[in-house]
Amino acid sequence: METYALLQITWWLLLGVLLIGLAVMVGMDMGVGTILRYVGRTDLERRVALNIIGPHWEGNQVWFVLGGGAVFAAFPLIYATAFSGFYVVMMLLLWSMIMRPLGFEYRSKLPSEAWRNTWDWALLVSGLVPMVVFGAAFGNLFHGAPFQFSWNLTSTYTGSFLGLLNPFAILCGLLSAALSVFMGAVTVMNGAEGVIHARARTLARVSSVLAIVLFAIGGFWVRGMQGFVLTSGPAAGIAQTPLQQNVSLLDGAWFANFHAYPVLWLVPALGFAGMLLGLLAAGARRSHLAWWLGAVAWLGVIGTAGTALFPFLLPSSSTPAQSLTVWNSSSSQLTLTWMVGFAAVFVPLVVWYTSWAFYVMRGKVKAEHVSADEHAY
Amino acid sequence: MHDINVVDLSRLQFALTALYHFLFVPLTLGLSFLLAAMETVYVTTGKPIYREITQFWSKLFLINFALGVATGLTMEFEFGTNWSFYSSFVGDIFGAPLAIEGLMAFFLEATFIGLMVFGWKRLKRGQHLAVTYMVAFGSNLSALWILIANSFMQTPTGASFNPVTMRMELSSLTELIFNHDAQAKFVHTSIAGYVTGAIFVAGVSAWYLLKRRHVELARRSFRMAVLFGVLATAGVITLGDALGFIGGQAQPTKLAAMEGLWKSEPAPMPFNLVAFPSQKDQVNRGQLQVPYALSLLVTHSMDGTVPGVDRLQQDAIARIRNGIPAVAALQSLSAAPGDAFALATFHAHEKDLGYGFLVQRYAADVTQATDAQIATAARDTIPQVAPIFWSFRVMVLMGLLMLAYFVLAVIYSMRNNIEHQRWFLKIAVWMIPVPFLACEMGWLVAELGRQPWTVYGMLPTWMSASTHGVGYMIFSLIGFVGLYTAFIVAEMYLMVRAIRIGPDQSHSGEGAGLLTDTSQAARLAGYAQEA
Amino acid sequence: MKTFLQFILFMAMAAVVILMAIVLGELGAWYFAWLVGTGMIVLITAAGGALLDAQDEHAAHAASIKTGDA
Repeated sequence: METYALLQITWWLLLGVLLIGLAVMVGMDMGVGTILRYVGRTDLERRVALNIIGPHWEGNQVWFVLGGGAVFAAFPLIYATAFSGFYVVMMLLLWSMIMRPLGFEYRSKLPSEAWRNTWDWALLVSGLVPMVVFGAAFGNLFHGAPFQFSWNLTSTYTGSFLGLLNPFAILCGLLSAALSVFMGAVTVMNGAEGVIHARARTLARVSSVLAIVLFAIGGFWVRGMQGFVLTSGPAAGIAQTPLQQNVSLLDGAWFANFHAYPVLWLVPALGFAGMLLGLLAAGARRSHLAWWLGAVAWLGVIGTAGTALFPFLLPSSSTPAQSLTVWNSSSSQLTLTWMVGFAAVFVPLVVWYTSWAFYVMRGKVKAEHVSADEHAY
Repeated sequence: MHDINVVDLSRLQFALTALYHFLFVPLTLGLSFLLAAMETVYVTTGKPIYREITQFWSKLFLINFALGVATGLTMEFEFGTNWSFYSSFVGDIFGAPLAIEGLMAFFLEATFIGLMVFGWKRLKRGQHLAVTYMVAFGSNLSALWILIANSFMQTPTGASFNPVTMRMELSSLTELIFNHDAQAKFVHTSIAGYVTGAIFVAGVSAWYLLKRRHVELARRSFRMAVLFGVLATAGVITLGDALGFIGGQAQPTKLAAMEGLWKSEPAPMPFNLVAFPSQKDQVNRGQLQVPYALSLLVTHSMDGTVPGVDRLQQDAIARIRNGIPAVAALQSLSAAPGDAFALATFHAHEKDLGYGFLVQRYAADVTQATDAQIATAARDTIPQVAPIFWSFRVMVLMGLLMLAYFVLAVIYSMRNNIEHQRWFLKIAVWMIPVPFLACEMGWLVAELGRQPWTVYGMLPTWMSASTHGVGYMIFSLIGFVGLYTAFIVAEMYLMVRAIRIGPDQSHSGEGAGLLTDTSQAARLAGYAQEA
Repeated sequence: MKTFLQFILFMAMAAVVILMAIVLGELGAWYFAWLVGTGMIVLITAAGGALLDAQDEHAAHAASIKTGDA
């Protein structure tokens, strides 16, 4: 195979790794934000829950920043088209996300009840909204988005904001939110005791059941859905633009990759296994195990979406021939090569020192520590 | 086609959000290294007051840091949301430093900041010190990659246009990284952050000294801040000159705007100390000049010259005419990628492709562009002179003011009688806004001076924006203004409150109540020794 | 007056240093300069803090000798 095509596939896989990293690491913090008001009934209980992720949320959030940066660097045309096309959604995502750092940092700096209550709501919004948008964005990839390119690849988006809130996208958004709540709940179980632990356990069980149901419905839904098929165009690994190909729509085409390579059915199976075993582990109070199983579930879910769509990244519903694929939207060979190099060195390094940070801060968060520590959230 | 109102609103939104973000970044860059220096003294001397000092300033650091991180997210989004064509046109080059920034720098900074705040009790002294250094190093490394990306916009090196993919592509990562403009700009910006951190710490300490509160903490903080600041200010001025020297060669239109230079003149050229530039008539209404100074400042020699607006505009006309066939050929190539003649034409004219795009704003079919349209496009190549001219002068003036302030502050602090110079302490408090303002002015000079380009000489701003309607832009502008106003109010309130409360309740970072008695006792013992 | 003279002296020194750096710098290896410079600035700052404690101790010592209750 061509080196360039190999690099493109490598980056497609790396993007998957980064998106899974984002979903797991940012998703768990957002899950904690979402369930904060439920697992913590008093101010002190909420502070305990917040301080479980207190030392880590900032580092975790970088997975989000890196996800965005990696799309920009490796698939610039996707970054340009998706971010501008989904303008209103992106703004809502952004505004809810920028409330989060302040929610953590400012919430407990004043004793006022109204102040803290406001920030608790802000944390709920900034936990729930981004995860729903994250899932809904994936959902919209299956339908495609209405955009087209001019001769010099200026993209124009012709859809509306409400068009993005179609039923399948909402289902995907709910699945994403359910998984994030599951991860948030088991994270709270890891770090809390007593009543907070018990409430989190209930939520973990409910959310994993919900995720299983939603993921299954989603599977059946996609089976009957119109998918995109690349019928002609420059071969993989040749520098190209989205102006030189033909694409047709076909019922059930999103299952084509699974039919061609049945071994790929293992990917959704992994998703179901993660959720099911996660449910059991949370029930058995094995919350650390449940956390890892939740990560496996994310791997399965995002992997399933990626596998179904490949080689498409962002199909165009209004001009299918101009759909964006791994082959026509990636960076040049030189950029991809450099970026593989940087990722190969720094991703392991990041994982190593992140693990060390979690190791240093291991153990339960106690209410008396939180109330006595001036630096605590 | 692009709606020019949308382009202007996109520029306004980007400028507002970037200037806002840049209120918090410099303090992070500088205060992080000051914290590292303070903690170094704690670890090497073992005196508990230095731990208290470190913890107090880190509390203020965090209030600022949160907003810096939050508003930084906006910047990452906006390239895609509002500058869609820019992002696809140069994403192959521009995206890489942004991704590397996340991977190499932001992760470092953000992961270790959690340990810096929560790890006092769990880490050994040396380990915690290392963590603090990682935060400082990480945040400055972050700035490095962002400024490498920015410098590509100012002086595009290490890239070329690929007519097959219709975009610019990386040709050398090392050229991109070791871009002279990036080198000077990173050091200038990073050290400007040091100055900001120093003025902030010195100013707050001076306020405590005026109130005669926390005197031991304030004297030490003041001493360290002013030493840090005096060295940093000297560095900022040096690098400011280097940046002017490098940028003057690479971006002559920016230099002409900074210096209000309408007419080309023979060497040695005079420096416009004060002038009132008129963009319409392309003259200065009233000016005060220093003979010979401009040649010395920007070329470092008596016989060097730089071109004025008149010559630059003439050059632009020639380049636009040369760029028109490049755009036309590219258009043919888009329809028929195999067209050998079009490819040859393109390569013959490709160096002026960007100038061809410039006139496309007025003539959609560039081959039909009239002389008048070409002249208008050439006039566009000159950025708005008056705001650049004055932002630059205010920035330089503030730099010199801060140098004088720090020199005097060092004299008083080294004599160890700063507590008694009350007039000077008052000045120190009033100096706090100065570096913030200077940083904002620096951003304005750099980015207004880059106009009308997003990538200098390659991609005009008018083409770079996303193809939105005005409604979207008004929606997002209202959202940003509302949110950002609420944020700054909360931030200022918490900051002022934390300063008013002071360090008394902040010595519990090492694990709360159990520690207070012993640390207080140790502190009292320490003070007794000093007194 | 003494302060003023000292101020002028130090400002002149700063001007000379900056001028030298400008002449030597131009297209200099600024990344390297930043690394060395930052290290130096942080160390001098830390030393300045430690020096303050030394000055305090010295003053306390001198005072105690004067009053004779050492």
